[in-house]
Order: sequence, then structure tokens, then C-alpha cells
Amino acid sequence: MSDAHSAQDWKVWFAENGARLRLIARQWTRSDADADDVLQEAFIRFWKNQRHLPGNPNALVVTSIRRSALDLYRSTDRRSHREQKVFADSDTMTWFEPEADPRLQALTDSLPQLPNEQREVVVLKIWGDLTFDEIGEQLSISPNTAASRWRYAMEALRKLISARTYV
Amino acid sequence: MSEDYNEIESALRSLRPRSPGPSVAAGIARALQTPARPAAPKKNIILWMSSALATAACLVGVFLFSRNESNSLSPEYQLVSAEQSPAAVDILSPVELSDGSYARPVRLLWNNTTHWADTKNNTQLIDYRPAQQLALIPVETY
Repeated sequence: MSDAHSAQDWKVWFAENGARLRLIARQWTRSDADADDVLQEAFIRFWKNQRHLPGNPNALVVTSIRRSALDLYRSTDRRSHREQKVFADSDTMTWFEPEADPRLQALTDSLPQLPNEQREVVVLKIWGDLTFDEIGEQLSISPNTAASRWRYAMEALRKLISARTYV
Repeated sequence: MSEDYNEIESALRSLRPRSPGPSVAAGIARALQTPARPAAPKKNIILWMSSALATAACLVGVFLFSRNESNSLSPEYQLVSAEQSPAAVDILSPVELSDGSYARPVRLLWNNTTHWADTKNNTQLIDYRPAQQLALIPVETY
């Protein structure tokens, strides 16, 4: 992963990191379209104003994504019940490319089923490339709580995978 | 247990998140390639604020100066004279006092006139105050 501090061409950096950033946006939004909107807004803000700031660029871009997602959530929260139902239906779409390995496919299907607080820790650690300290700062929780949620998530994923693979 | 987590973690890392739609990159390109509004750099903001402060200071100075100007137009009176007119004396009928003696009341009437003038504005201020004093002159009786 190239460093956003020194990257000159946003296209190169976005091509390398866009998919994982979109997944981070996706797990905080209700639809693929919302995830795209959030990612676009957050990335523009990050690239224009924040990428030269000191600190971990991953944490900066994740903060930008989270802020955009929260803004969108607050605005869409006021939408009609009908629109919210559309969001709920679209939530069943997969977040990952299809996998030939049934065990990996079970994993892709299981991740969205985790409780939100566990899922966001997993996504931020794996695809946000953040430490538990940084995850704690993002989510306003202690690093110990983040680590605890990680362990619960791993246990839950293991059970979900086993159930899907062997049933 | 830790080994199991490592296995799941590595499996997670091997997953391929879906890429953003082409509209995202197009939207970013539009936003980043649009000649950005010349965002006022900090230096410009400081210069702008400095000039604004200087202008404000000038306005205050002009205001104060004009106030002084107008103050200079206000009357500046100088004392010209302070006169006291000759007293008019009224000698009244004698009266009997509480101790049985007699006295003749004498009333003095005069005017105090103070005169100021402002030559610049050609204005004058005259303070005219009538004054009186009552005195008793004992009267000898035989």
C-alpha cells in the first residue's frame, strides 16, 4: 500500500485502495449506492485537505469515511419508511467478489451478519489496517474493548463458517 | 485459540472487496480536476485581515479627527467682564425685635453680571443674577 502522504496521482492511490475503502464505507451504509456516495465525498475531502496532515493516512481516510457515513445516515434517517425498506432489502447484496472456495464464500456471507459493533472492528482492522488503539479512537471505545469485540467476532465467524460449510 | 483467529484473519485478508463503481472515480476526477476556487491561502487571509484592520483604524481616526474638528467649532468662551451694579438701598420702617429693642431693616439690591464671549463664533454668554441682602440697623430709643 503506497503512502498517501507522498502519492501525487490520486488515480494510482485510489486504484490500489479504493476497494478496501469502499468496504469500510459499505459496512457503515445501507446500500451500495450510499457506499459509493460516501466514499466519493470522503475521498475528495481526504485527498484535497487531509492527506498531507501528520499521522496515519489510513486513520485519516477512515475518519473521513466515517464522518461522511454519519452525515448521510442522519439525512437518510429522516427519509420515508418506504425508502428505508429499500435500503433493508439491498443490504442482502454481497460486499465481496464471489469466491470459488466454499469456505471463503461462507466467510463473505457471514461477515455482514455479525453485530455492527463487532463487524466494524473486523473491517477496520483487516481493511482499514488500523491497530486496536486506532480503532478505539475511531469508535470512541477503549483499545481493550476493541480487542474484546475482535475476539467475539472471530468466535462468531468461526461458528457461522462451520454452520454454512457443513450443514 | 489464537491459531484459529490467525487462520480466520488470513482468510479474511484474502477476500476481495468489491470495487467502487466507475461513477465514483468519475465523480472524484471531476471534483479534483475542476480548477479549484483559488482557496484563499492563509497568507492572503492574514493580508486581507490586516488591511481590513488598517481600514477600520483609519475610519476610527477620521471619526475622532472629525469629532475634534467639530469640537473646535464649539464655543470657547473667554471671560470678558464680571460686574456688580451699585446697590439700591431700601430703608424700611422700624420694627420691634423680640428683646423689646427696635431696629430699622435695610434691604440692599444689586445685580451681578458676568460676561463671556467667543470671538471665533462671535457668540456671547451673559450671566445676570439679581441679588439682595437684608440687614437690621439698631435704632436707639430714648
